[in-house]
Amino acid sequence: MARKKAFIFSEIEDYRTELEIKHLRTKNHFVLGFLLLMMILTIVYLVLSGQTLVDSIPVVIAFLAVLIMNITHLAYGRITPSFYQMNKYVTTVGTFFLSILMIFTFRSPSMVISLFIAYSIAAFYQDMKVLFLSNTFMLLTVFAIIVNNPEILGLASATLDARVGIGFFFIAFMVILSISSYIIVKQKSFFFNQIASAKESEFRQLDLLIELKEKLKEENLPSETYFSHLEAFTEAFCKKIGSANVFKEKIAVLRDLDKGISEEDLLVKYPTLTKTDLSRMEDLLMSGHHKLRKAAMKIMYDQNIHIKKREIFSETQFKSFNHQSDRLEIKIIAFVLFYTALKKGFAVLPGLEEEKIYDALIHSDFYYSMDPRIVRIYQKNSAVFDEIVKDAFKKKVRR
Amino acid sequence: MNNFLNRVFNTEFLPMSEVRKIKITVVMVFLLFLTAVTIPFSIFLNYSTVFKIIAISAMSLVFLLMVFLIRWNKLLIAIHLTIIYSIFLTLFYTLGSTNLYAYLFFYITLVIIIFYQEIYVYILYGFLVVLFGSFYTFVNQDGLSLPSDIFGSTYLFLFFLILFFIIFLIQILLNEKFYTELNYEWVRMNHVLDKYQDHILIYLNTIRKSMKESPFYEDLDFQKAADELAVFIYEQFAENGKEITNVLDLYIYIHERGLDKILSNDEFSVSTKKIANRLSKYMLDQRTEMFSMIVNFHTKFKATAEYKENRYLYNVESFSENSDERIIALGLLYMFLSNEVFGLDEWDEMKRKMTKEEVLAVFSSEDAESFFSSAEIGFLKDNFELFEAFLGKQSD
Repeated sequence: MARKKAFIFSEIEDYRTELEIKHLRTKNHFVLGFLLLMMILTIVYLVLSGQTLVDSIPVVIAFLAVLIMNITHLAYGRITPSFYQMNKYVTTVGTFFLSILMIFTFRSPSMVISLFIAYSIAAFYQDMKVLFLSNTFMLLTVFAIIVNNPEILGLASATLDARVGIGFFFIAFMVILSISSYIIVKQKSFFFNQIASAKESEFRQLDLLIELKEKLKEENLPSETYFSHLEAFTEAFCKKIGSANVFKEKIAVLRDLDKGISEEDLLVKYPTLTKTDLSRMEDLLMSGHHKLRKAAMKIMYDQNIHIKKREIFSETQFKSFNHQSDRLEIKIIAFVLFYTALKKGFAVLPGLEEEKIYDALIHSDFYYSMDPRIVRIYQKNSAVFDEIVKDAFKKKVRR
Repeated sequence: MNNFLNRVFNTEFLPMSEVRKIKITVVMVFLLFLTAVTIPFSIFLNYSTVFKIIAISAMSLVFLLMVFLIRWNKLLIAIHLTIIYSIFLTLFYTLGSTNLYAYLFFYITLVIIIFYQEIYVYILYGFLVVLFGSFYTFVNQDGLSLPSDIFGSTYLFLFFLILFFIIFLIQILLNEKFYTELNYEWVRMNHVLDKYQDHILIYLNTIRKSMKESPFYEDLDFQKAADELAVFIYEQFAENGKEITNVLDLYIYIHERGLDKILSNDEFSVSTKKIANRLSKYMLDQRTEMFSMIVNFHTKFKATAEYKENRYLYNVESFSENSDERIIALGLLYMFLSNEVFGLDEWDEMKRKMTKEEVLAVFSSEDAESFFSSAEIGFLKDNFELFEAFLGKQSD
């Protein structure tokens, strides 16, 4: 089996986690709601069915313990998001513990079905490790019931089909739910990957745009014009509100940063500032590839974007050389043009070396943008591909 | 098989339609397995032998139909058919047995429906399964419960089935909401990226012309390399590469003549026009999917700033917590928007700048809050005359 592909942009990993945690927060609240509802309904059942206190108290205490742990993790999660992650596992173990407790307390086949509820609550998290935990609990519990406590399901005196059927269909349920959850988890990752990749693409394409603009010497206002106008603006503003000009020093620092004066010299010149201050203020420059310039460009390009309803969930959003509706010939043409264009280079984009292309095409998620049959041919014959292009270009490729 | 498993393990990189296909295939393998088990298991079910043979034969036929539906790419019909098939399997077991294992089939069928994550499908078929499950629970109380069972055990069976349905209903609704939001964000990002690439293409072409380089499609070396590579790949599938050369010629021809002229020319066959249409998304002289992927690929090898936590944040608040620095950022942004090149002018030159009204619209649009807080917008409005006087359009 092929090894796991890396992301084409390695920077996106952290942002993906951020997106995941953002959605995990909402899921945690829903799970908390389910647990609370389950506890209320269980207490109502215990009262109505006249269960003894010896049976009832442990169940209620267990519910409270799981709820308290859940709430505690949610509270700490606001400060340290890893608590949200931890909560998934704690709650999964907790719900299965509750289910097992009820099964062995009440010893009824109907209570065995509560395992499905525990499984469904855990499935809410859509997480691989939670899925593994759920499967382990489910399998061990069903095994423990069938082997050591068959009377809970009435299997001791049951017919052969009942004994075989229960074990078998429990496992069938687990298998299909596991595969289902696995693919659903992966599907969720698809969007996280796409959004994170798009963010990184944006960051890098803004860099490229700046590079191209500079190469073409597109007329930009010089930095000094920005600073002098900003100075006049802040002066007028401070006059308007009747205060001293508090912006003066900051603008002077920006000017010095823009001139490229070293950090050490700036720390001597402005003793009240720290390295963190300088790093933060560097983002406020309008020159080069600094962040404020990128933000300004993004704001410009972000205007007048109209999204049609049919574009959402449209396959056309997924850029690839492996569209299902395309014939093999078209996929081949797309791949060879892409490959040849990468080798040749385009204006300021230099021709890429074979090793770089091979590594990115075969070992990154870019691999899935191509027809697997075609990419396998390339993988086996990359040296031939390289030779064909070199021969055709007769070493005219720019580096 | 290996290929299919690889695709399952890498579902997160595949588009929706591919994933849907994988899901249907997985369900079908599962159903095939269940059907195979049903053949020996049917001995224990209370049906006549003739009925068992007819039922299992019918299931096999429907299964075959599902295989063809996938081959014909009729995925939606295949989804419905796999669900109906599993409901039929549930009926077959539950009407033929009063044992607990038959009851488990309601959950198995619900999971199959859940797998597809289609809200209307889940509500329709899931509701039917729960309805029939409830009926079955009441009718077969003796088969499900023990002789000395706890109080209300029948109601517990019923309650758990309904709760299971509701939990997954909420999960699917929430997923639907998440996916729609994520998709909207992704589509929006794609639109912005398209705009960047429109300008990247213009700039690259300007530079290419200044370097006296010919475009890809006019470069004979480029054509030769592409032709030889295409033939090399195609010959791994077919005996000779003539057909692929024709497709490549057509591709070059689209660049020379333009797609519209080919589509409106009656001398071309319908199939040629179809191929031309499909090839158009890979053209190299426009901002197409091909261009977008080339640019994206190249940027991987460009030097970039080190990763910082706020790398993808562009709102003013993300720059600093200090209000004076935010005012500086706001002022500089206003000056940039008022004075820097925005796009093509009426002469198709990259010289157009935003008008005063357009700059103002940036701060009053619905999307303004993505970049500016209400306090920052308020500050700008309160001091607009100062912004305009000192940071507005500078005379050229």
